[in-house]
Amino acid sequence: MFYRQSGVHHTRYQTARRLWPLPTDQRIVWLLLALAVAAPFYMSDLYLTSYMLPWLIWSAAALSLTLLMGIAGQLHFGFAAVMAIGAYTSIHLTRAGVPFELALIGAGLMSAVIGCIFGAAALRVKGLYLVMATLAMQYLVDWTIINVPAISGGAQATLSTPSVSLLFVPLRGDTALYYGALLWAVIVTLLVLNIKRTSFGRALVAVRDKDFAAAVIGVNPFKYKLLAFFTSSFLGGVSGAVLAFCYYQAVTPEQFGFNVSIQLVAMVLVGGLGSVIGAFLGAGFVLLVPIILTNVVAYAAVAGWLTVSSNLLAHIPLMVYGGLIIGFILFEPLGLAKIYDNIRKYFLVWPFRHTQS
Amino acid sequence: MSDQHAAAGEQVLVCDNVSRWFGGLQALKSISISVRRGEIFGLVGPNGSGKTTLVNAVTGFYPPQEGDIRFLGTSINRMKPHRVAMQGIARTFQNVALFRGMSVLENILLGRHIFMRPSALASLFYWWWAQKEEIAHREKAEEIIDLLQLESVRDEPVDVIPLGMQKRVELARALCAEPKFLILDEPMAGMNQEEKEYMVRFILDAQEALGLTVLLLEHHMDVVTAICDRVVVLNNGEKIAEGPAREAINDPAVVAAYIGKRHDAA
Ligand SMILES: Nc1ncnc2c1ncn2[C@@H]1O[C@H](COP(=O)(O)OP(=O)(O)OP(=O)(O)O)[C@@H](O)[C@H]1O
Ligand SMILES: [Mg+2]
Repeated sequence: MFYRQSGVHHTRYQTARRLWPLPTDQRIVWLLLALAVAAPFYMSDLYLTSYMLPWLIWSAAALSLTLLMGIAGQLHFGFAAVMAIGAYTSIHLTRAGVPFELALIGAGLMSAVIGCIFGAAALRVKGLYLVMATLAMQYLVDWTIINVPAISGGAQATLSTPSVSLLFVPLRGDTALYYGALLWAVIVTLLVLNIKRTSFGRALVAVRDKDFAAAVIGVNPFKYKLLAFFTSSFLGGVSGAVLAFCYYQAVTPEQFGFNVSIQLVAMVLVGGLGSVIGAFLGAGFVLLVPIILTNVVAYAAVAGWLTVSSNLLAHIPLMVYGGLIIGFILFEPLGLAKIYDNIRKYFLVWPFRHTQS
Repeated sequence: MSDQHAAAGEQVLVCDNVSRWFGGLQALKSISISVRRGEIFGLVGPNGSGKTTLVNAVTGFYPPQEGDIRFLGTSINRMKPHRVAMQGIARTFQNVALFRGMSVLENILLGRHIFMRPSALASLFYWWWAQKEEIAHREKAEEIIDLLQLESVRDEPVDVIPLGMQKRVELARALCAEPKFLILDEPMAGMNQEEKEYMVRFILDAQEALGLTVLLLEHHMDVVTAICDRVVVLNNGEKIAEGPAREAINDPAVVAAYIGKRHDAA
């Protein structure tokens, strides 16, 4: 078959360490990248801007969170607040005339620093208390944004993004915005993939798996937990900024509320903790669920099978996320990524049934 | 070899009247030991005698409440475990402490951590920055894999290989850090005779190839008498004998302690 390990021999560490050692995997990756780059030419504007574009940005955000939750093993239930800090910082910086590229870095740094402060406090506690500490971050940041007019522009205000250009290309029009989002998604993907195969990622996993054994080989557990918070919050902050500029084109505090944090956790868990492909699958899944649900329920309501208030309708997706998180934790803790892996292995050993691990 | 002899007097690790309490229980009662460069020093004693506690004091997990610990002349008494590791002390654990989410190779590579410069930026610019470092350290790790004959399991996840192999991987991880001083906490526990002999061989090979000083915590008296230069025997947190292996182990106090324990167990 087309998927074979035989005949692939590495004679140098450089090739053995490639991201995708198998030629078939490489072809799949290139094909997907080509499809993503060509999307504006074959996709309708509606699909491009309301499906592809948000999916890419949310995948980048989920990747940022999976770095912290999956690879470094630290729970975070306030990640939407991290993104909010990035979004607001980037808007205020660009309004003050800072070039967009620098504003993105500023947004990342601001999120990283504030994320680290909460992280440092949260790291003094473990497990459930860490969850509580990150929840506190969500509410404190929400409260601050809403109640400080200098940040939010007033309690009910919407701040619209100024027009900017990225690498000398004006960020205007569907195609440019889409490529901006794609570029960020590619950068985060490569970063997380590379972290997983280098000493930084190994140190994070070591601290996650057994912090005392990590200490014995010279890894400072506290430092690496904090570095995980820093890196992940930096990426989350930039993702928030990209979301504001490329998708919403305006920010309000509600866009980054507690329910968004839960959505992000659902993306990471449903996709598979620590998995890169899982972040993409999880983000897609979580974004599609409310769309499908709303359509199904609306259809059923129109057909007269059941009556739902619009209030309930708005809460159904949240209930489904809760159910999904519990379901995946119980039945497939490794998430959609594991299901993908099973399919890949099936082809890898076809026509036999036995896989290596 | 002659300068090894000249340096034989040099003390690598000195514990000076080290005491440690856990609540009301005194697990170490004013223990003094000194380990000389190049030797295999045995730390022997029945279950619960305080061997692991002494090692935990040395490596910074349970700092002693009294006494001083010096390594190559510097006090490491209040150092955090990761700082102790950076001084050149490596150890293995009585219950294998490998990173279960990783392969054998990745576990061994982690032993190189103190020589590497991990950062997210280096990872982001992998092809220009981290790759060279990764490959250089991979070569060092492969040397250790060679020495301990771990080639066949290199890419396996650590939790699927047998216990004997896991202990060997842990030794490899420790050796990868090029330690000056290696602490092995019951490296033969739970092994069959063949695995035990392999392990002894590897310890001797590594000690010779890398010029190590070793502190060996051990239960099996045959192993102790076979490879240890000098031993200290602990019982209930007290030092009851010390000296050349064969003599110390035949000391009446030691025999009594071990027989006493057997009576308790029966
Ligand atoms: N963290 C701890 N808290 C309380 N008591 C402890 C702790 N660690 C060790 N002890 C006690 O200290 C004493 C010495 O234990 P230690 O583990 O050092 O013995 P050991 O010589 O290593 O024995 P073994 O051969 O079983 O490994 C025991 O009585 C043990 O119960
Ligand atoms: Mg012990």
